[in-house]
Amino acid sequence: MRPFELSTPATLEAAMDTGGTFLAGGTTLVDLMKLDVLTPRRITDINALPLYGIDTGDGLRIGALERMSEVAAHPGVYPMISRALLLSASQQLRNMASIGGNLLQRTRCGYFRDVTMPCNKRDPGSGCSAIGGANRMHAILGSSRHCVATHASDVAVPLVALDAQLRLRGAEGERTVRLADFYRLPGDTPEVENVLRQGELITEVIVPRLDWAAWSTYVKVRDRQSYEFALCSAAVALDVAGGVIVDARVAVGGVATAPWRLAGVEAALRGEPVARASFEAAAAIAGHGTEPLSQNGFKVSLVKRTIVRALLELTEGGSR
Amino acid sequence: MIARLDAAPKVTGQAKYAVDHNFPGMAYGYVVLSTIANGELAAMEVTAARHTPGVLGVYTPFEPLELRTPISQMLGEGWVPLQDKEIAYYGQPIGFVVAETFEAARDAAALIEVSYTERPALTSFAEGLATAEDAKTGPRGAPSLSVLAEGVESIEDALAASEVTVDATYETASQNHAAMEPHSAVAVWNADGLTVYTGNQGSHGPADELAQALNIEHSAVHVVNPYVGGAFGGKGATSTPAFLAAAAARNIGRPVKAALTREQVFTATATRPATVQRVSLGARNDGTLVAVRHDSWSSTPMSRSFIEPTSHGTSREWYATENLAISQKAVPLNIPPTTFMRAPGEAPGSFALESAVDELAVALNMDPIGLRKRNNSAAPPGEDLQWSSKHLDECFDIGAARFGWSERTPGGRVDGDWLVGLGTATAMFPGLRFPATVGITLRADDTAVVATSGADPGTGLLTVLSLIGAESLDISPEQVTPRLGDSALPPGGTSGGSTATASAGSATMVAASTVIDELLRLASSPGGPFDGRETAYADGRVFADGRVFADGESMTFGEVLRAMERISLTATGSTAPGEERTKHSFGSWGAQFCEVRVHRLTREIRVSRLLGVFDAGRIINPTAARSQLLGGMIWGVSAALHEGLDVEANGRFANADLAGYLVPVNADIPEIDTHLVEYPDTLLSNVGARGLGEISIVGVAAAIANAVYNATGIRLRRIPMMLEDLLED
Ligand SMILES: Cc1cc2nc3c(=O)[nH]c(=O)nc-3n(C[C@H](O)[C@H](O)[C@H](O)COP(=O)(O)OP(=O)(O)OC[C@H]3O[C@@H](n4cnc5c(N)ncnc54)[C@H](O)[C@@H]3O)c2cc1C
Ligand code: SF4
Repeated sequence: MRPFELSTPATLEAAMDTGGTFLAGGTTLVDLMKLDVLTPRRITDINALPLYGIDTGDGLRIGALERMSEVAAHPGVYPMISRALLLSASQQLRNMASIGGNLLQRTRCGYFRDVTMPCNKRDPGSGCSAIGGANRMHAILGSSRHCVATHASDVAVPLVALDAQLRLRGAEGERTVRLADFYRLPGDTPEVENVLRQGELITEVIVPRLDWAAWSTYVKVRDRQSYEFALCSAAVALDVAGGVIVDARVAVGGVATAPWRLAGVEAALRGEPVARASFEAAAAIAGHGTEPLSQNGFKVSLVKRTIVRALLELTEGGSR
Repeated sequence: MIARLDAAPKVTGQAKYAVDHNFPGMAYGYVVLSTIANGELAAMEVTAARHTPGVLGVYTPFEPLELRTPISQMLGEGWVPLQDKEIAYYGQPIGFVVAETFEAARDAAALIEVSYTERPALTSFAEGLATAEDAKTGPRGAPSLSVLAEGVESIEDALAASEVTVDATYETASQNHAAMEPHSAVAVWNADGLTVYTGNQGSHGPADELAQALNIEHSAVHVVNPYVGGAFGGKGATSTPAFLAAAAARNIGRPVKAALTREQVFTATATRPATVQRVSLGARNDGTLVAVRHDSWSSTPMSRSFIEPTSHGTSREWYATENLAISQKAVPLNIPPTTFMRAPGEAPGSFALESAVDELAVALNMDPIGLRKRNNSAAPPGEDLQWSSKHLDECFDIGAARFGWSERTPGGRVDGDWLVGLGTATAMFPGLRFPATVGITLRADDTAVVATSGADPGTGLLTVLSLIGAESLDISPEQVTPRLGDSALPPGGTSGGSTATASAGSATMVAASTVIDELLRLASSPGGPFDGRETAYADGRVFADGRVFADGESMTFGEVLRAMERISLTATGSTAPGEERTKHSFGSWGAQFCEVRVHRLTREIRVSRLLGVFDAGRIINPTAARSQLLGGMIWGVSAALHEGLDVEANGRFANADLAGYLVPVNADIPEIDTHLVEYPDTLLSNVGARGLGEISIVGVAAAIANAVYNATGIRLRRIPMMLEDLLED
């Protein structure tokens, strides 16, 4: 870790003025500083800023500094959000990590984390080591010739399913951005991961009210049963009347360069009976347009299976 | 329950490990590693590093620290860092930066620019098979061996003549011990010589290697390791930080502390080799094995440091068969050094052999336990020396009853979305012991010290020493202070090969009887309290007239010493393997049972129940024994489902940190049941213990794979098993 200057402003205005890299829980930032992947000279600890509170009045408003554990435990939070949080990281990390920081966490691609290796995301133009290397954990959706790294956040998956928005505040004032529009695909600039401007803060996560999302779940498939990122995950919610699916929300994680909403799968579910066959037919659409790499071809099958499993667990309460 | 003596200091943070030692004026070292796998160092630009504030020394093969290659009794020719410019693997130590602070050393190290003359590296095990060579260094003798029944020309003939055969190839991944305590050292020179605090498996080995490497007298080196944060075979040899810290401390005239980072531990130490194994079994229709063939290939570094003896470690001895042929090849690659790791040979070897036995049971339509019992061996095939004490059938019987084996059906069962299967496997680990010397000191305050230079790397040896010491001296364990982990103590060998209890334990018994004889002689000597009278010893007391009875005239040993104005009385006892090996074969045995659940859709494999029943001789401390068994079985789950180094084409490990190199977490481990059948093996040593550090990892991976087959009908022949291996589309 390189020496840095630390400031601890108490107001949003003061924080904007520091021009430093924001530090919330530090579980991404400090980790990557230790690996020399991030080398900020100035760090602005934002924990004293008034970005707390969870409001469930009309939809959900979550202060950016709320800890993952607090959000997960809140009774007003949709099940797929709290499940995604509880299946993330470990209790110790969830106690430290903020919801804002979570959405800005960096990829777990091993080459991004090893400064001796070429990586376009860390060192633009140096090449992508994963394309010809260890890419079992990598993306089959949304990738480019320049980067195939997955977005690793779990909670971002239900949040895009629920069409969440972010409140942002920068020197030029405040704005609201849909989470789905917030993330950028790697294209030929994998180093740019989102539309956040220099010095801009996430102040709040807003989840529009969706009463039927009370019937939702999140399934995470991984190499061990806890404390590991997803090989594939699925957030699903269903609105059902008389055994027929009126509306659906489906998004997947662990397989794409950004949290990935599957509008096609949602559309295919609408109007269908609540039945395994409907789930399988709709999930098949998730395989469209996938581009597997040398070691992750299995994800094409896994993503469909994970969606079916999530829908079955939601509707049948399938055993864990 | 017997509490571990080191439990309280460990859980309260009082235990001082090597790097917890600090000295005035201490400097910090940081190791630099290569980023190619084959070639030569062309140049190392160190000017910027050297000019970093706080830097005290930068050492490279161009400006090395003086170190000579040591030769160790146990491990043969060693390796010392920075002595030549050849690079044979990715992550090889090539530099050492010493500075006022750890941060300064690390930051300076990042400024070193290295250029290489690179050569093509051979890193792929699959590609290396083409250039495999006979493994000359197999610790159990010649690379190949065959035992054929009279009139049988070859193993091929024996297999061809078998009524039922199975033939399959299995693969196991390379692994790193990844002990919690990284390899580290603090080196301090003073007028008497060198003291090095460093975690290891026995302090005499490193003391000897350091003396040779630094070209100083043996008596001038003192190695201290009262606590060791895990070793598992990975801390047998002196570590790179120990050599470099000692040499640099001499160079700058200040104490030096050095530790590998977690990532560095994966390459700058040594790993368990990867293996490929082909097993062919031939049997009669009634299940009698008539032919066993086991050919193995082990990865090995270009230095050929170690090969994993999978055929010799398993098929050589486990089953009765008229015809046996085993072979062992080495596949030299540009990979980090290989070495012993928990149950070397037996752990990966049992995955192949015990999977193959299960495949044979399927082919024969026989119960896998019945098949194993039918082929139980009374002695290793082709040898006359019978097992000293073997109760494997009993392990299977007890295990089957406890586990509900009779409810197993050939196609497993379904529970909701989960496919459930049961599997079993044999476990075996040879009964060994090493030379050891233990010193016992009786003190005038009626306490005793039992001391030997061996290590307790978490195995419980410290507590065992106090228990065996107390038993042998006929006093309570509270009166005994055990001491370990210091090369100034009598040479106690190595904690390795599951031998420490048998070795140090029997030496303790010899030392105790010697010191008691000495005490009695003293008591009845002229001027002694029982001058000229017969004496006898019991209950920590010397009895007059050679008779022990409740109200007899007697004194405690402390009283005797005080009467003679002695502070203490010391004797040593030594034992070594000997005669017994000409009379019997020795081994611990066990039966592993496992239940797995495989998700119908997403195919995760979860272990839902585990049971191990073991026959490991006498058990000295049941609590510590169970804990050892649990650790080994959990590690077996890890090997089966999680652990494996991923070697890239350029020789880099793709997953050399604990984020990528997965080991199980609590949620992966179910309730584990263990049981010990206790038959003291006094033919091996007078303590009757056979050691159980390693046996419990053996067979677990096969039991899991066999259970997966039972659940899904899919045979997985490579570990770690991944969910994609069970995805059919
Ligand atoms: C071992 C480990 C396992 C993990 N496992 C999982 C997992 O299974 N699933 C999962 O989803 N995540 C996982 N994580 C990631 C973890 O959830 C994130 O590291 C965490 O949520 C980041 O939050 P933080 O508050 O610590 O962010 P920080 O590290 O403080 O910040 C992260 C980034 O966001 C910026 N930032 C933070 N807050 C703001 C803000 N309000 N406005 C603007 N910028 C901001 C920082 O400048 C920094 O660039 C794991 C992490 C670790 C270390
Ligand atoms: S996948 Fe992306 S993050 Fe990984 S090496 Fe390639 S460019 Fe870097």
